[in-house]
Amino acid sequence: MSRIFSDFKAFGLAYLRSRTGFFFALIFPVILILVFGAIFSQSGAQKINLPVQDLDDSYWSHTYLKFLDKTGAFSIQMIASDVDFDQYIKDELLVLAMQISPGFGTSVSNALNATGPPASIVLKGDPTNSYFSIGQGAATAVASQLAFYGHNVTDVAVVVPQTIGKPQYTFIDFFVPGMIGFTALTTPMFSMSSICSEYRNRGFFKLLGSTPLTKSEWLAAKILWYTVLMLASIAIMYAVGIAVFDAHFTITPMAILLVIVGVFLFTSFGMFLGVFVSNPESASALANAIGFPMMFLSGIFFQVESMPVYLQYIAKALPLTYLAEGLRATMSLGNDVVAATDLVILLVSGIVVFVIAARSMSWKGK
Amino acid sequence: MSEIVLEAKGLVKTYGDLNAVDNLDLQVFKGEVYSMLGPNGAGKTTTVEILEGLRDPTSGTAKVFGFDVQKDYDKVRSKVGILPQTFEPWDRIRPPEAIAYWAGLFGRKMSKKDIHELLKMVDLAHKDKVGGERLSGGEKRRLGIAMALVGEPELIFLDEPTTGLDPQARRGLWEIIQSLADVGKTVFLTTHYLEEAENLADRVSIMNKGKIIVSGSPEELVNLYGGGTHVVLRGAGEDGAKALEKLGYKSTVHNRDVTAHVPGLMRTKDFMAQINQAGIAYKDFETKRPSLEEVFFNMVGGRMEEGVLKQ
Repeated sequence: MSRIFSDFKAFGLAYLRSRTGFFFALIFPVILILVFGAIFSQSGAQKINLPVQDLDDSYWSHTYLKFLDKTGAFSIQMIASDVDFDQYIKDELLVLAMQISPGFGTSVSNALNATGPPASIVLKGDPTNSYFSIGQGAATAVASQLAFYGHNVTDVAVVVPQTIGKPQYTFIDFFVPGMIGFTALTTPMFSMSSICSEYRNRGFFKLLGSTPLTKSEWLAAKILWYTVLMLASIAIMYAVGIAVFDAHFTITPMAILLVIVGVFLFTSFGMFLGVFVSNPESASALANAIGFPMMFLSGIFFQVESMPVYLQYIAKALPLTYLAEGLRATMSLGNDVVAATDLVILLVSGIVVFVIAARSMSWKGK
Repeated sequence: MSEIVLEAKGLVKTYGDLNAVDNLDLQVFKGEVYSMLGPNGAGKTTTVEILEGLRDPTSGTAKVFGFDVQKDYDKVRSKVGILPQTFEPWDRIRPPEAIAYWAGLFGRKMSKKDIHELLKMVDLAHKDKVGGERLSGGEKRRLGIAMALVGEPELIFLDEPTTGLDPQARRGLWEIIQSLADVGKTVFLTTHYLEEAENLADRVSIMNKGKIIVSGSPEELVNLYGGGTHVVLRGAGEDGAKALEKLGYKSTVHNRDVTAHVPGLMRTKDFMAQINQAGIAYKDFETKRPSLEEVFFNMVGGRMEEGVLKQ
């Protein structure tokens, strides 16, 4: 333990004194939150995979859904009317769902006759997901088409967007869990791959090989360091989220566990990548080549279900998918059952990658 | 006989068709400074790294403190200190922090005073606020030696510790290495500087093309393979040269000074006794002893310049 602590302390000192490492670990995520938060907190635009609960089951609700389907922008799946809509969203981890309330048809008829206010359609979604704004735009456009059935009527039906989860949740409450998953991938994986390459090129591994420190202890020290760094990063993100955007998300114990296991996995994976590259620049390029597609396929920014089938298979094979899903489940939806399943998947993957990484790496010369 | 600290038998390391280490046998005894001398590419570092347990041999065995370097190095790791040829300190880690780090890895508790004393010994105490990347070449090597000493090792490997350093920095490191020898540490030193081996080593092995060509103390090597001593008899003139010829010695005359070649195994004192007995007149005399440079030239067939063999 003292050896791990010694390596942890020395590595931490060197790390914090590296401006690049400090910037990417603690400052870069905050800048992303500020920039993306400012842009997407008031968003709007279109698209796909739309579960719909039609509690009205009337001519007008059928007409609306028929028009919606004709746009070709959505794949509509019906939710049974006796199902609890909010619970269904939570259980299925949906990023977009629509509910047509009882009396929708009557409201449309009244609005067409100018004897009542417009009917409303509830569209619930994750505001950080691009499909929420796309879906909202398309659903609103179709709702406005119903006005053609009347004379001199402009608003027959309106789409009411709502965030899933707690009513007070806003964009930032969904954005931060994704950002935590993103940072848990980038910080350890990108830097570990470069560090391994640098250590080998500069003879540090040989030097360490001359001490009683084992490879597993060295890797454990790195995992410990990145875990501490990630927890500090989360604390900063949390503080900025509250101070700047009045965020309401909660950091649950399950979220902490997911981050720790995620860091364990991605630190090991970074070390594994570092085994195969000759210099830090190549390591960085390899980590980017693997890391960035992983980010965009893991459901952090785009709905996995709306991707082509082959990409969905790839997404399901990516560990970041489970980290992002688990963090969103526990932090945004309060669904710890799904988060626990994701935790187990990440832990098993982490153990496998740790063992492979430790065995692949040799501190000896050839 | 002294205790054997390190022993290699039939050590071979091949890379394709190249025999980097070619059937090498050696022994290092407790408390001695053993120097492996040879040009770049002779196989010194490969040999040292095998003996350090940082590289596996193709065949042969090596033992450190009686433990096999491939299987049981973990058992003696804390008794061995290593300064690799390519040593670099960590960037942004200051010398006292580097020492504390290494002490932690060796499970040794060192107070700030202990660390200061160790840095003082390698003349780095005044650099305690400077990051590793900002140390000079000589300072980096001195820090490397200090780190190698943290575990209080009995055997210290120093792989070309002075290569690339200026003469002053080199002399400074010699003093440190000599001080290690003075306190009874066993030092395994590789170098391509002949004067370094001659000044520091109790025993020297000359290595070339993966093989040890000769081994022995510098005096033994000079006597056996240095080609003998040159004695200059001032003012002895042509008569002196002729008298020397009668005694069986080759000589040359220059400005009435006669330079005689005394064979390697003969002591200068015995030669002078013969001269005096023969009544050869001279005003003064001086001896020019060969050095390891001559030994190296005679055995390898070339001279070394900064590690490069010039045939």
